[in-house]
Amino acid sequence: MALKIIDTIKKRLEERPNELIKARKEGQKVVGWQGYNIPEEIIYALGLIPIRLGVGGDDRLVEIGARYISTKNCVFCRETVGLFAENKDPYIQNTDFLAFDATCLQTYRTAEILQYYFKKEIVILGVPRNFYWPEAKTYFTKEVEYFTQRLEEHAGVKLDSNKLAETIELYNLTRKAIIKIYDYQATKERLISWEETYDILQAGYFLDRKEYLGLLEEVLEELEEKQGRPVIEVDEDEARIFISGSVIPPGDKKLIDIIKEVGGRVVGDDLWSGLIPYLNVEIEDYTPAGIALAYINRTPHGALPYLDLETDRRIIRMKELIKSFKAQGVIYHTLRYCDPYTFKAKETKDVLQQDGIPLLEIHTEYAVSDFEAIRTRVEAFVEMIKNKQ
Amino acid sequence: MSKIEAFAGVDVGSLGTKVVILVAGEIAGFSIIPTGINTEENGLNGLSGALENAGLDREDLKFIVATGYGRISAPYANKTVTEITCHARGAHYLHPQTRSIIDMGGQDCKAIRLDENGNVTDFAMNDKCAAGTGRFLEVMANVFKVSLSELGPLSLTATTILPVSSTCTVFAESETVSLLARGEKPENIIVGIHHAIANRVGGMFSRVGIESDVFFSGGVAKNIGMRRALEENLKIKIAEPEKDPQLVGAIGAAVIAQNSWKRGN
Amino acid sequence: MSNSDNLFKYPEAIRDDFIRTEDIVFRDGSRVTAGEVWQYLTEVGPVKYPNIYDTSNYYGGKISGDVKLPFSLKHNYLLLTMDDRMTKAKANGVPVVFVQGGQSVDPYYAAGGIALRPASTGIWARQKEEGLDLNQEQVRSADVKEKAYRAISFEACNTAGYEHIQEGSLPVDMIAPFSCLRCSDVSYGLEAHRHGKRKDVKLFLVDYPMDHQKDKEWAVRYFAENIRRLIQEINELTGKETSAEDLRKEIKLHNEGRKLAVEIADLWWSAEVPPTNGKDRRDLFQLGGMEVHGDPEATLSLLKEAKIYIEERVKNGIGGYGVQGNPARIFVCGSCVFPNEYRTEEAGGIIVGNDNHWSDITTMVEEEGDPFYNLSKAILSYPYEQAIKERAKWTVEQIKKSRADGVLFLYCWGCNTQSAVARALVDEIKLQTGLPTLIIEHEGRGSEQLQNRVNAFVEMLG
Repeated sequence: MALKIIDTIKKRLEERPNELIKARKEGQKVVGWQGYNIPEEIIYALGLIPIRLGVGGDDRLVEIGARYISTKNCVFCRETVGLFAENKDPYIQNTDFLAFDATCLQTYRTAEILQYYFKKEIVILGVPRNFYWPEAKTYFTKEVEYFTQRLEEHAGVKLDSNKLAETIELYNLTRKAIIKIYDYQATKERLISWEETYDILQAGYFLDRKEYLGLLEEVLEELEEKQGRPVIEVDEDEARIFISGSVIPPGDKKLIDIIKEVGGRVVGDDLWSGLIPYLNVEIEDYTPAGIALAYINRTPHGALPYLDLETDRRIIRMKELIKSFKAQGVIYHTLRYCDPYTFKAKETKDVLQQDGIPLLEIHTEYAVSDFEAIRTRVEAFVEMIKNKQ
Repeated sequence: MSKIEAFAGVDVGSLGTKVVILVAGEIAGFSIIPTGINTEENGLNGLSGALENAGLDREDLKFIVATGYGRISAPYANKTVTEITCHARGAHYLHPQTRSIIDMGGQDCKAIRLDENGNVTDFAMNDKCAAGTGRFLEVMANVFKVSLSELGPLSLTATTILPVSSTCTVFAESETVSLLARGEKPENIIVGIHHAIANRVGGMFSRVGIESDVFFSGGVAKNIGMRRALEENLKIKIAEPEKDPQLVGAIGAAVIAQNSWKRGN
Repeated sequence: MSNSDNLFKYPEAIRDDFIRTEDIVFRDGSRVTAGEVWQYLTEVGPVKYPNIYDTSNYYGGKISGDVKLPFSLKHNYLLLTMDDRMTKAKANGVPVVFVQGGQSVDPYYAAGGIALRPASTGIWARQKEEGLDLNQEQVRSADVKEKAYRAISFEACNTAGYEHIQEGSLPVDMIAPFSCLRCSDVSYGLEAHRHGKRKDVKLFLVDYPMDHQKDKEWAVRYFAENIRRLIQEINELTGKETSAEDLRKEIKLHNEGRKLAVEIADLWWSAEVPPTNGKDRRDLFQLGGMEVHGDPEATLSLLKEAKIYIEERVKNGIGGYGVQGNPARIFVCGSCVFPNEYRTEEAGGIIVGNDNHWSDITTMVEEEGDPFYNLSKAILSYPYEQAIKERAKWTVEQIKKSRADGVLFLYCWGCNTQSAVARALVDEIKLQTGLPTLIIEHEGRGSEQLQNRVNAFVEMLG
């Protein structure tokens, strides 16, 4: 039985593009952004409207995008370029300028292509690869301060410290709410599925953040009323699956649908487009520098190479989440040419094997030609997990 | 109602449809026919052929399991199971010491690890743009104007190995055509192709590990050149096939049919 | 494909002139005479490494037939003795560091190490097995590379030497490439080593900041800090400390090499008749990077000598070996790959320039003042690493200097960061020059498909 509030969220999403058109007519500016380390709080606090761009699952747009970027870039990047090339998406049409970061070099290249071919105004945020060095944190702090200056120029106002403090509190509450909902989706009661949770999470990148927090609180209210405190337990004849790897943006449903179809149940993820950005965000100093530090100290993105396996916080975090969501297997989803995650598939499999956790790599694109091939692999994996019990 | 308890495994693959009938745990009959356009019809034709071979009637069948890519169009089946699980069961049935399976079918290539009970413990399959399938070798046989069954014996006459790209069927075919144009000997190219495929299979086993005994199933298992290349690359001895290796999936499906029926009754 | 029955032989007729040429002077002060070079090339090399002497035109790395260019013989000698020289250096306590191509190597040498790029590392690794003909060597190389694919992914292009260092036992001490846009794979190849068997190899990423990096003071300082730390890490291996003055001296040495390469290029490009063939040109220009041989002093001695010979050839209108009259001149942009020069020349073309190494070679480093800062500022200014329009502007300058008739953009299958800007870059080049351009994907080995496209382009230019 679906939660009532989910329909409300879907409806609000449908209404959102028109709201943006209206807001722009009234003089507000919309910032389309992409990346893992973009400090959204700063955008919002300046009175700009942040919209995270990038969808997936449309091979036609991938094809179009590849004419400008290349067929050797990940499908997510190609589809992003395709969106701009076609310019029919209402969010693409209603951005005033863009903000991209250099966490992933392909995202950086995407920004270059959007600047060159579609003459987009883009504010780029540099991100250090050696993010754990004190010098790198200094560099990133300066980058965020410079980023803020350029946003102020676009916004026509200076960043107000009270507004920033308010925004940080708003985002902190949002993060807490998302984390709580994630706990509910992994329980026996299944009042909310992982898929629904993931959709709700993506909705936050389009809706106004204040309104969004209200909606999240309604979701939690409904869940608490019906279920009480969430307790994560394993049910009989379940194949509890944790998803890791490359981005799964809105619109990319292929793998998720297949898992459901073959009797698997997703109970958690550590995707950079999913739960991960909401964890371990500790903003101590309510300034751009404070935000910069908090962001760079979060669970890192796989695109930032880390040279010691034992202390890699991304892997430590992944193992913790697998345990807390009581997952029985991991589907490691990698997109073609997404090197940051594809190149770590074998390593991740070996690491999890030490804890007795099976891993299946699904390496795919947005074309549907491999639907049956993926189905067979996922189905066999689900059979394997269920037979083990 | 028939007193005979027969169980069928139907494996509708991309190149061939294989059916095996089990009675009292023994193979009573089987059939192998080429897969046509209508997969449901293929499955039914295969069943008829196997029943005839076993001297049984349709009403003798108590449970049917369908596997292979054509399992999604098998309304006659009581249950569908992936070919990975079926291959593990089938290999275990034929050779209980099997702990690893190399399966090279028409469309894909698999590395399967199983335990002493025939349960899958890990597996890996070929990525896109990775050579190693029956279809790939069929394309190559066509370039050399020989039949698929001649590729193996021809490769054993090679005097050297020529490097052939192993990343893509299309690239490899193009390379083969170029090598022939330069006057290179077919047998030396074929052994290069086998070598490239063995490298790719080696890659899959590096993900899941390999343990003896190793069973080689699928249509390509009949290619002696491929067997040699695999043994060299993986540094293992492949167990000798006791039955047609193409039947393994169907045998496994029949075993699962038998077990499912027993559990239900 | 292989011509193992007909290996290349340096003709006796040139011996006397050759052995009168300059010694090669090495970094450690030792020298080798031209006579010793001759003896190695004619007696030792063909036995140890027959594959290098294969004469098939399908072999893009075959020895250039231009036997009257002493640098060419000495260059081949240095490549053929890579294993001998690295083994000797290691025995003398000099650490070897894997770096990526197209980056300067001043700090590695200043710190007392040797910097080897992927191709040089590959050469060293391949020399561990002797007596292989070309086919055997290529099968072996493919098998070895397969090991890296297994550990990392078959989509990996630059594996940071994983197959040689982790799966093999090449005694490289440290892997420390720059993380620039030239290659994104190398950073993940480096990362993959953390899961390898060998834990004694130091891993270090020299973090190259993005986006207007040369104009941001904090980016320059951050990269300078990366260079400082890099040197410290290498010092831990050598047990010695590198001073600012050591780095300044090293910069001066490398600047000298860079400057010579630019002067040689200017001469080469000014000639009506190409004074060398494409393979020799590429080898020669690349010497300016001072990293090809694992010994910058040796490379410098070759550059000094080469300039004299090129000057002479240009003055007297002498053409390179095998170069046909009035070939179509092609400038190659892109990632670390290029067409088979011999087959391109057969078809009536000639490659006159490549951008990726050239970008760091043409970037001089300020010699006065803080060397860490100066090196950082220079490296962050590599034209190849700038935004599309700025990169194109520099590329167009080189294209015009080289008097190219057309531009090829080649990238390797699996290369993300260069392929991403292929179209944008050639569109900008076309806009600024009006020259024909073509983008081709290179799948790692010179295939007929690739050569077909190159030859068709040559015919179009003709």
